[in-house]
Amino acid sequence: MSDQQTPEQTGSAPASAPMSRRTLLKLGSLGAAAMGVSPLLAACGGSSSGSASSSGSSSAAVGGSGGGKKATVRVWTWYTQQQKEFPRLISEFQAKNPNITVENRIFGTPDQFLPALAAAVSAGNPPEIFAPHIRALTYGQQGVSADLKKELGDDFLADFFKSTRDEYTLEGKQYALGWMAQTFGIFYNPDMLSAAGVQGEPETWDDLIAAAAKIGKTGKAAVTVSANPSTSGLDFFLPLLAQVTDDPTYYLKLDQLDGVSYTDQPVIDALTLLQKLVKAKVFQPGVNGTAGDQAEQLFYTGGSAMLFNGSWTPQDLITNAPKGFADKVKVMQTPALKPGAKHYTANQAGAGLAVSETSKNKDAALEFVKFIYSPEQYATTMNNSNSMPSTQSAAEKVSNPVLKQMTSWLIAGNGVPHIPFGNGSSEAGGPLASIYDGSGDPADVAKKMQEAVKNVRG
Amino acid sequence: MASQTLAPGAAHRPRLRMLSKRHRPEMLAGYLFILPTVLLFLVFVGYPIVRSVYLGFTTWSGFGSPSWTGFHNYHRMFDDTVARQAFRNTLVFAAVTTVLQTVLPLLVAVLVNATWRRFGIAARTLLFIPGVVSFVVSGVIWKLVLDPNLGLLNKLLDGIGLDSLTHSWLGESSTALPAIMVVSLWQALGLNMLIFFAGLQGIDPTLYEAAEVDGAGAWPQFRYVTVPGLRLVTGIVISLNLINGFKAFDLIYVMTQGGPNHASEVLGTRLYGLAFGTTSGAVPQFGYASAMSVVVLLLCTAAVVVQILLNRRAAR
Repeated sequence: MSDQQTPEQTGSAPASAPMSRRTLLKLGSLGAAAMGVSPLLAACGGSSSGSASSSGSSSAAVGGSGGGKKATVRVWTWYTQQQKEFPRLISEFQAKNPNITVENRIFGTPDQFLPALAAAVSAGNPPEIFAPHIRALTYGQQGVSADLKKELGDDFLADFFKSTRDEYTLEGKQYALGWMAQTFGIFYNPDMLSAAGVQGEPETWDDLIAAAAKIGKTGKAAVTVSANPSTSGLDFFLPLLAQVTDDPTYYLKLDQLDGVSYTDQPVIDALTLLQKLVKAKVFQPGVNGTAGDQAEQLFYTGGSAMLFNGSWTPQDLITNAPKGFADKVKVMQTPALKPGAKHYTANQAGAGLAVSETSKNKDAALEFVKFIYSPEQYATTMNNSNSMPSTQSAAEKVSNPVLKQMTSWLIAGNGVPHIPFGNGSSEAGGPLASIYDGSGDPADVAKKMQEAVKNVRG
Repeated sequence: MASQTLAPGAAHRPRLRMLSKRHRPEMLAGYLFILPTVLLFLVFVGYPIVRSVYLGFTTWSGFGSPSWTGFHNYHRMFDDTVARQAFRNTLVFAAVTTVLQTVLPLLVAVLVNATWRRFGIAARTLLFIPGVVSFVVSGVIWKLVLDPNLGLLNKLLDGIGLDSLTHSWLGESSTALPAIMVVSLWQALGLNMLIFFAGLQGIDPTLYEAAEVDGAGAWPQFRYVTVPGLRLVTGIVISLNLINGFKAFDLIYVMTQGGPNHASEVLGTRLYGLAFGTTSGAVPQFGYASAMSVVVLLLCTAAVVVQILLNRRAAR
């Protein structure tokens, strides 16, 4: 036998010896591989107890002065806009309701929030109050979210804008409430428009194309739009569907592929309109490489005269833009197809609040919901955070002039859906990138959008 | 010469048995010491892996019980155009970054070791700093650098008259993934260089002296002394790079989320989107995402096998 032979080769058992460096490296590598991939895998763990179970009547006695049981209400959102407001609300609420403790947790972004919520729901322990994101209706159907129509009554809900109610309504049940509503518009720097010789606000897309040509001669971009990630590009595109069809419900049907398809003529027409804007150099170079925060930066650093963005922009400008810039910024509705036509604008309350159906502290959670939506509290909260409210009464008290204007479009009923709730709907944003970069043909892109959505449905 | 016919270690075996009896309490204490770590590993790594493998054979939206569908998710991957693209991108990303992040750090380590002795510590520190920055922070910083309008890179190219070379680096299908690869290299260069540098310290200097006496120049010394001397270290670096390449996620997610139109989509970003993101809309696809994560696990395991094979060759 050669000295090189191992115990395995000789058939003898390996001697109990100190671990060799090679064995350690092998084990270490295997461990590293497992550890490396485990974060991807671990997230998919958890129990499968997400099914509905009637909580019955809550055992938690709620209210202020009584000596009932103590209850904890966890509130999970990504609503950083109210990070200074929630502590105030909680403090005032707890003063009136000493038996209820509210634990507020604000995640940085929806991307950080969604996995945590999914894990909590899968484990059968969702927070008492949470932002349901695009899963609002699914959570309702699965018994995770409470029917707030039943819990709070029609009178309570009557004050909410129809658009902010509809998106969270299924078969007559209200599975969440709009917290911050949103509309989109075109913010502009009046000085830059004047310098380029643009008079007044462009009313139609052709007016905007003409204005873009003038602004282009000054070496600046006309309108900044973000399409990084690809789904962001849908915010600009989807309201165009309502414009070409004059049907604000068209996207709702498309979202569910309910009798309509991306290959239908309205979608191709909307893509053709978008292509026309791209070819006329209405947008900044590299739309697909511009993230939301970068789009705002380009606008407030004078790189572009206009910015297509949502109603959270006034607050962002106050926070991030050079001093005084936010004061001079104005906003206009997205242009219409022709003079006098409706200025449809993307509008849905992506930021909503749902209440856990299964929590034993549901009643305490509902008390907190009633408190934060009470007219005096809600209007104050929205105004202090420069956010767009979801109720009529709070909308009448909006103090920020830009936000007030944007809220008026909501009141006028110009809002159209723009959030892809449907299975795989957000995948339509992928092929749209080739319209933004000027390489795509509308009919071909429409076909690819349909294929992309179908593909992810499996 | 009877002892020569014995298996290695055979002569010591009786002694070891005695030792193990005598040291049984010590051994038990040793096992008790590692028990908490083993338990943590089983709960937080072992169980999730097993659970994910199981979920890969099911359809599960995160509600109720998973329903068993066998190999359906794996079959689906073959028909799924985006999954195929993500798989291709994963392989390309892993292969390119492994080559770049092995060869360049090796050359830099040799340079630092040979020519910058005076400035070695400063050079190593400077090169190592990017590796200390988290992937997310790196992604955010580089997204700003690569911004098509305000980004430093395009401004620089403009400034030196190379405006024809400017791109929307993260917004074009042809440049998005290569741009992320460069950022990945920037991040990994320092750490890998340090590993090679440590390996270089372990090579016997007399080997270089002997080579010099034999008239070998810098290149032959590198080829016949340095490279063989670093075989074991190179194997580790290659396998670590492969593993990191296969499980790439954070940098890509922060910079492009797999876009534009899936041009930089890898398995990690795709499975995340299906399970936790908005890709699946209102109904998450945990089962399908788990099947993808099992593919990532298999790829990482293959990388470890590569390392073991390389180590075996190095030991010969």
